Amino acid sequence: MTFGNRLGSVIAGCGFVLVGVAHNASGSAWTVETLIGLIKVQGESSVAFEEATYSSLLTEPIISRGVLRFVPPDKLEKIVTAPSHERYVVEGDRVTFESERRGIKRTVSLDDYPALRSFVEAFRSSLAGDVVQLRNIYEVTMEGTRGRWTLLLRPHESSGKSVVDYILLSGAEGRIATIAIRSPDGDRAVMTLLPGAPR
Amino acid sequence: MSRGHGIAMLWVLLMAAGMWLAATQVAVHSELADLLPEGTTATQRLLLNQVRSGLAGRLLLLAVEGGAPDELAQASREFSERLRATGHFTLVENGAQDVRFREGDLIFESRYLLSPTIGRDAFSRDSLRRALEQRLDDLRSPLAPLVKATIPADPTGEFFAILSAWSGDDRPEKHRGVWVSKDRSKALLLVETKAAGFDADAQATIHQEIRQIFDSLLAARPPSVHLLMTGAGVFAVEAKQTIEKEVWRLSTAAAALVLLFLFASYRSITLVLLSLIPLTAGVMAGMLAVQGWFGFIHGITLGFGITLLGVVDDYPIHLFSHLSSRGSAPAVMHEIWPTMRIGVLTTAIGFAALLFAGFPALTQLGVFAVIGILTAAAVTRWVLPLFVPDWFLPRPISPAWPSRLEPLTRMKPVIPAVIVLACATLLWSHTPLWEAELAGLSPVSEAKRQLDRQMREELGAPDVRDLLVIEGQTDENVLQYAEAVEVKLKPLRDSGVIGGYDLVTNYLPSRRTQQDRQSHLPEQSVLMHNLDQALKGLPFTPGLFRPFLAAVESARRQPPLERKAFQDTAFEARLASLMFEHRGSWTAVVPLRRIEDRRQFADIVAGWNVAAVTYVDLKQESNGLMRAYRDRTFVIVVCGLLVISIVLAIGLRSFNQLGPILSPILGASAVVAAVVNLSGESLSLFHIATFLLVIGLGLDYALFFNRPEGTEEGRSRTLYGLLVCSTTTMLVFGVLAGSSIPVLHAIGMTAAVGSFCCLLFAGIMAKKGLYASA
Repeated sequence: MTFGNRLGSVIAGCGFVLVGVAHNASGSAWTVETLIGLIKVQGESSVAFEEATYSSLLTEPIISRGVLRFVPPDKLEKIVTAPSHERYVVEGDRVTFESERRGIKRTVSLDDYPALRSFVEAFRSSLAGDVVQLRNIYEVTMEGTRGRWTLLLRPHESSGKSVVDYILLSGAEGRIATIAIRSPDGDRAVMTLLPGAPR
Repeated sequence: MSRGHGIAMLWVLLMAAGMWLAATQVAVHSELADLLPEGTTATQRLLLNQVRSGLAGRLLLLAVEGGAPDELAQASREFSERLRATGHFTLVENGAQDVRFREGDLIFESRYLLSPTIGRDAFSRDSLRRALEQRLDDLRSPLAPLVKATIPADPTGEFFAILSAWSGDDRPEKHRGVWVSKDRSKALLLVETKAAGFDADAQATIHQEIRQIFDSLLAARPPSVHLLMTGAGVFAVEAKQTIEKEVWRLSTAAAALVLLFLFASYRSITLVLLSLIPLTAGVMAGMLAVQGWFGFIHGITLGFGITLLGVVDDYPIHLFSHLSSRGSAPAVMHEIWPTMRIGVLTTAIGFAALLFAGFPALTQLGVFAVIGILTAAAVTRWVLPLFVPDWFLPRPISPAWPSRLEPLTRMKPVIPAVIVLACATLLWSHTPLWEAELAGLSPVSEAKRQLDRQMREELGAPDVRDLLVIEGQTDENVLQYAEAVEVKLKPLRDSGVIGGYDLVTNYLPSRRTQQDRQSHLPEQSVLMHNLDQALKGLPFTPGLFRPFLAAVESARRQPPLERKAFQDTAFEARLASLMFEHRGSWTAVVPLRRIEDRRQFADIVAGWNVAAVTYVDLKQESNGLMRAYRDRTFVIVVCGLLVISIVLAIGLRSFNQLGPILSPILGASAVVAAVVNLSGESLSLFHIATFLLVIGLGLDYALFFNRPEGTEEGRSRTLYGLLVCSTTTMLVFGVLAGSSIPVLHAIGMTAAVGSFCCLLFAGIMAKKGLYASA
């Protein structure tokens, strides 16, 4: 009985400590949660981007331009305007892909492409401020300061890994400046979000 | 030893030998397919066979139901993994897999022979340029890592074009990567068994295992999650189980009732045992005869045959009811034999008509009944009397009671009135007189069929009903015809006349087409030149497409892809069901989906004017087949009745007696038809065949009613015997009428009502003095 009582007080003590830490975090510390809280988009927002794709099959990167749009909670749109018109719309579970060059419009389920899902979630969770979901899929590492940070996402899921080695976001305060995606074979795409575009 | 003892000994030996044969040699089948007609033309036969044993028959549709969509999706994943591991299936699909391969290599290596996009300009500078730009888009897309590897050897994207053509359209929606119903209440799976759909035993084992696997998954899941299963195999198993259960249950119930009733009527165990002698002999002889003729006996034949041979119980009852203290059993038998003989002969003739029905179920029944009846009669005539102990006398029957039936004879006008009434009923009834659908005869419950329709709808795996059949001398002929057909089908699909089709040449193009594609593959130098031109200004690494140049060059000399190449792949079974050889010639079947207007489509196909291609609506085909057999049976019954009348007239040496004997039968037939119709059923093949039985029974009753009988006691015995006979018959068939198997129900109802009417009408038509007391 004595033993039981002592155990009880130890647990209670741990509880106090944990609550203290949590309280401290929500205050001023620079954490992933804080960062995602800053990134989180409240209303509908669009931003122009320029993307460079580097591939071992290519001698120079392919440059494409367009607009990224996010409509909370889960609609994400990537509109490519150059070199040719393309449009990806992710809404819930469904991805609609339109390509002018191929003259096709196709809707698939994210479930058909587990790789694509992890990819999409990186953006969606960040923009929606859903840290829990982000951590579900990625191992999340943050470096730097509030004024200049990087956020490294490495997928847990093995199927996610087959297309994404890591995703590296960089930025300042609540603004994302670049998104670099590296695939396991070393190919990568670097997307620069252009400031000044309407948010 | 007396002659009598000798016959008795011989009899015992024969019975022992027969029992041994029946126990060791007779094979009882219960697959419904064994009883179905085989078709009247060679093509029909081939088709029905193919449909029964083909791909459509081997598909099972599974659904996991009763949980949250996420739970169902997870269950579906685990379930499909475990099912795949059993090795019972050539295919387990739940939506989660792409076409995953051994096949992948096959397609990749033969892509320039298989791809429908290879034509004259496939490798021109402009085509190549377009293709290369698309590959750049691919590299920019999020899925680049998945396609990147194929780009150097397949820059024109043939591989993925073939994959998408092979994976079919019309697929269900998905949730978390697996197929679900539209309302997300079910996760859907499609499996293809290695065992044929009609192989009910193999199917039953597989279903059992599927359920076990599902239950073991369920351990960690809410108990509300359950499994639904449908498909031809499920139907086959249910039909088989229903038939086995019912045949056993019904024949036991009928036998018990008859024996109890016999005992109650005569209060003599000896009599009951004696009456079993002709019955067992008849059943055994019938079984052995069917086995000898067909090589197997069907469960339905056996069950119904035994019930039907319950009729032969009448023979010993006639003997017993004429036994009296004045004569020995053999002497009585000798006396009543002429009357019995006519009854036996005419009944046997009636059933012999079934031999010409051309319908396996009925032919078996005909053999069983004819042999059984003749044997039972012979045994009653020559063997049974020897076993009747000298001291045996049935319970005395009060001689006075028949006079109470006297008023019956004043009711003669009732018969024509009843016939008129019955005909009027048939004329004005809303229930169709004839059963038009083969499905109406299926022992599978309506609930199961409903589930099947629903799941097929959800899975986009419709029941195969419409087919194009393409015939040719060689496989190459058939493939070329099929390609010509595709040219015509494609616009029909695009315009929505048909929903879709599955054509063998989608997987295996004809040799001619493959060679044609080869001829469009440019020489190395030309291709190199076009490629260089196309690559101008594009950032691809120099020399990247060397594998492409090599692949095209080797494809130019590659031997055409043959059927053999698909061996041991997931497509082997599909290919085998889409095209097959039969007696030296080849047939391709093209399952068609969602035909809105069948007549219009039939006209279109007829307009093609190609002899090698026929459109088949399987449902109409089998219903038509059913109708043809029914009409044939009807004619047979009428002819049987005529032959019986002639035999009767000769046997009785009088035409005048025909009236009182035949009119009860005709009256009973009309009433039976009306009663069946009033109960909301339509007459099927099996009702009609049972009219033969009714005719046989009616004859038997009428003959004995009209038999000149000397003494009052003799009359009362005869009448009592007739009542017992007919009551046993009604009991037996009344039991059968309670069956859930439509065929048995039809037979039972017809015979029970029929035998009652026959008895009543024969009683009414009896000669005036029959019931009168002296």
